[in-house]
Amino acid sequence: MKELDDIAIRIAGANGDGIETSGEVLARVLKSAGYNIFAYRSYQSIIRGGHVWYQVRFGSRELHSFKDKADILIAINQDAIDNQIDHLSNDAVIIYDSKKMSIDKYKDRKIRFLDIPMLDISIENGGDPVLRNIVGIGAALRLCNVDISYLNDYITKRFSKKGETVVNNNISCAREGYSRATPLFNVKADPKVKDLYLINGNEALALGAFAANCRFYAAYPMTPASSILHWFAANADKGIVVKQTEDEIAAINAAIGAASAGARAMCGTSGGGFSLMVEALGLAGMIEVPLVVVESQRAGPSTGLPTKTEQGDLLFVAHASQGDFPRVVMSPRSVREGFYMGAQAFNLAEKYQCPVIILLDLYYSEHMRTISIDNLDIKIERGKLIKEKSYNGRFKRYSLEEDGISYRSIPGTPGLEFVAPSDEHDEYGNLISDYYAGIDQYVELRRKMHEKRMRKIDTMIKQENIFKPEIEKEGDIYLVTFGSTTESAREAIIEFEKQSSYKIGLISFPYLLPLDKDKTRDMLKDKNLIDVECNYSGQLAQLIAANTGVVIKDSIRKYDGEAMTEQYIIDRLNQIVKR
Amino acid sequence: MIQELQFSYRSDQKPVFCPGCGDFGVTAAVIKALTDLKIPRHNVVVVTGIGCSSSIAHQFATYGIHSLHGRLLPVAMGVKLANPKLTVIGAGGDGDGYGIGLNHLIHTARRNFDLTYIVMNNEIYGLTVGQYSPTSLKGMKTKSSPYGAVDNPVNPIALAITAGATYVARGFSGDIPHLAELIKNGILHKGFALIDVFSPCVTFNNYNTYDWFRERIYKLDSSNHNPKDISKALEKALEFPNNGIDRIPIGLFYEADRPTYEEEDITVSKMSVSEADKPSRELIEEILSRYR
Repeated sequence: MKELDDIAIRIAGANGDGIETSGEVLARVLKSAGYNIFAYRSYQSIIRGGHVWYQVRFGSRELHSFKDKADILIAINQDAIDNQIDHLSNDAVIIYDSKKMSIDKYKDRKIRFLDIPMLDISIENGGDPVLRNIVGIGAALRLCNVDISYLNDYITKRFSKKGETVVNNNISCAREGYSRATPLFNVKADPKVKDLYLINGNEALALGAFAANCRFYAAYPMTPASSILHWFAANADKGIVVKQTEDEIAAINAAIGAASAGARAMCGTSGGGFSLMVEALGLAGMIEVPLVVVESQRAGPSTGLPTKTEQGDLLFVAHASQGDFPRVVMSPRSVREGFYMGAQAFNLAEKYQCPVIILLDLYYSEHMRTISIDNLDIKIERGKLIKEKSYNGRFKRYSLEEDGISYRSIPGTPGLEFVAPSDEHDEYGNLISDYYAGIDQYVELRRKMHEKRMRKIDTMIKQENIFKPEIEKEGDIYLVTFGSTTESAREAIIEFEKQSSYKIGLISFPYLLPLDKDKTRDMLKDKNLIDVECNYSGQLAQLIAANTGVVIKDSIRKYDGEAMTEQYIIDRLNQIVKR
Repeated sequence: MIQELQFSYRSDQKPVFCPGCGDFGVTAAVIKALTDLKIPRHNVVVVTGIGCSSSIAHQFATYGIHSLHGRLLPVAMGVKLANPKLTVIGAGGDGDGYGIGLNHLIHTARRNFDLTYIVMNNEIYGLTVGQYSPTSLKGMKTKSSPYGAVDNPVNPIALAITAGATYVARGFSGDIPHLAELIKNGILHKGFALIDVFSPCVTFNNYNTYDWFRERIYKLDSSNHNPKDISKALEKALEFPNNGIDRIPIGLFYEADRPTYEEEDITVSKMSVSEADKPSRELIEEILSRYR
């Protein structure tokens, strides 16, 4: 039996084979057995057929990324073997069914094969072919020396509603698989895991938002943001208004309406839907409504690869909509950070009365991992929201304040009525776009109103002191990252330093806009930097250059739709340090 | 003082409307309706789009959102869902509501939100200085249709009835008392009310003038029309422009008693989320425990 820090089990088959459900079952069982989990799936934009897989990586320490090469493959069809054989580690095991699949082509490979009649077993035990997945899972657990009781307990809990027969059939299949394998690997369990939560990126974000009193969510379904809509819909009974709208234009405008009425409101989509939201983003900027927008990126352009990941929308969200207005762009580097950013976004939006964009990507949104959430005391900061004013006369909703932040009221408050216009306006909200445009005094007023809004950028940079990168680790060379790529870089550094004398540092950007230019420049200058991003053109590097003048020459980029992995970074790091 | 001001609905803002514009009549009718209903002005939100008519938001001393071209209905929906206690009135033009925003009209109508939507329909694009609009009659010559418009016009009344609106009426800004009554009843009606208003553009539409309408309109109220009968309502709706342009009915075409979206939504039926405190720590812990 070989002692390992972590093992990756992959289950692969076709769409409709229950791969995703089986993967989740495996992840939950291994979590209950006391392991840290990192689970990710690969799927396609079809409902039946094709090739899909789900990988559960489990370990004795916290895991930051999925693994390029799996250690165990549960093959549900021939395609699974053919497509996955080159994505397995050197001493990997393939669990397959010789009655349905052939391994003749691979006889000379070092890989070990474990032949189990998975389909026959499933037919003998109830007849549902999906049960062959459970046979495979039972065998895989045995290979990893994990007690079968964890699987049995989970099956009983999960399927008890479906009746005793279903539970018993599942347990029999699990036992049959388990009994046909022998332990080859062992991973030490981690006692801390029982206090952790196994949750995916979108769920963590939605929960964080709700914890911060997000009570309104509007969206049109779009992968990979749809599961945020599902989460809110499933929890609507707890006091959340959830509206699936006719399009993304309606979603963002509804969220603006709800935010104007005083609710903490959010809308969510992917790049294509965000394209439709762009005009209204500017409306929120102009009428200074606290709005939170989630954009989970998938591989573009256009419809692109709907089920694949990328970080190609950074500059798009940074510049979207006409004219200048303050906005915050933030991107969680981990699922845990996603929970807290989901909450923090609303405080920033309300304090600075501007749109806040939370930039995710498919890899972040859809991977599931064990995290701790220790601080649940979410502070609510509503900024300059008032119920009465201290002066006579009409309420100046857009008063020219030194910090750029005017006092805000919500409908229902007597004496503070105002009109919020998308046209340029004066301090009261009266238009200066018609009778007055071009007249000297109003030319001056337009300048002042515009400067007032834009001053909020300096105010938030000063007050918050968060709009700069984090030097997570010092080194001879630094990887520079944002979003989910950061986690892969963290994992890559751990592995790389085991093999190399180079010390690799890490500088990551949780906040992309605004940036404290001086502090950011000071943190980056005179360092050897490598830009690591999942896009073609190096959008983070461009953003850094535009804001600080620091030009990063070396880069590790990936734009094939698959996530940035530790091995991909390590291979390219090796090439760069060899120069 | 504040008590009195609560029911004073007119703002101090100079309108942008041209002298003689139909939208003056609509402004007066809305103020008359609100005055009759005595809704405190801080509980009224007027949501408008973009176009000459949408600047009407600034004529009222209520809360207002002068939003984007064609998007007033989703904004109004958001306001209403966040705080169903507010009286939300949408107002805009025919280009705004029947052109760029038509999609939202259909979906808002079928959901039956308790909103009142007034469309100032002048059959022309005024603010962009005179192009044909979705309600311009076939053959109408404008800057963008010098050889006459080829498009068939939208029939907003028939569209709203079939989409599921539960109060569908048409007024004329040349008859303010009649229009004010339609608006008042639209606000009182529980559900989505569309009030299409012939509101002539005296600058860019010298075809559909006040006189042109006066010669053609007649009131449904005095013609034994039964607004509860959807087939009869549709029949009346098709009189203009589908079946001719010589006789145009105004008044209440259709009225139905159907539960509103707010009454049926699991959350909105119970609370105004805009007034909710943050969820308790215990609730968040309970949700989190499902992931343990």
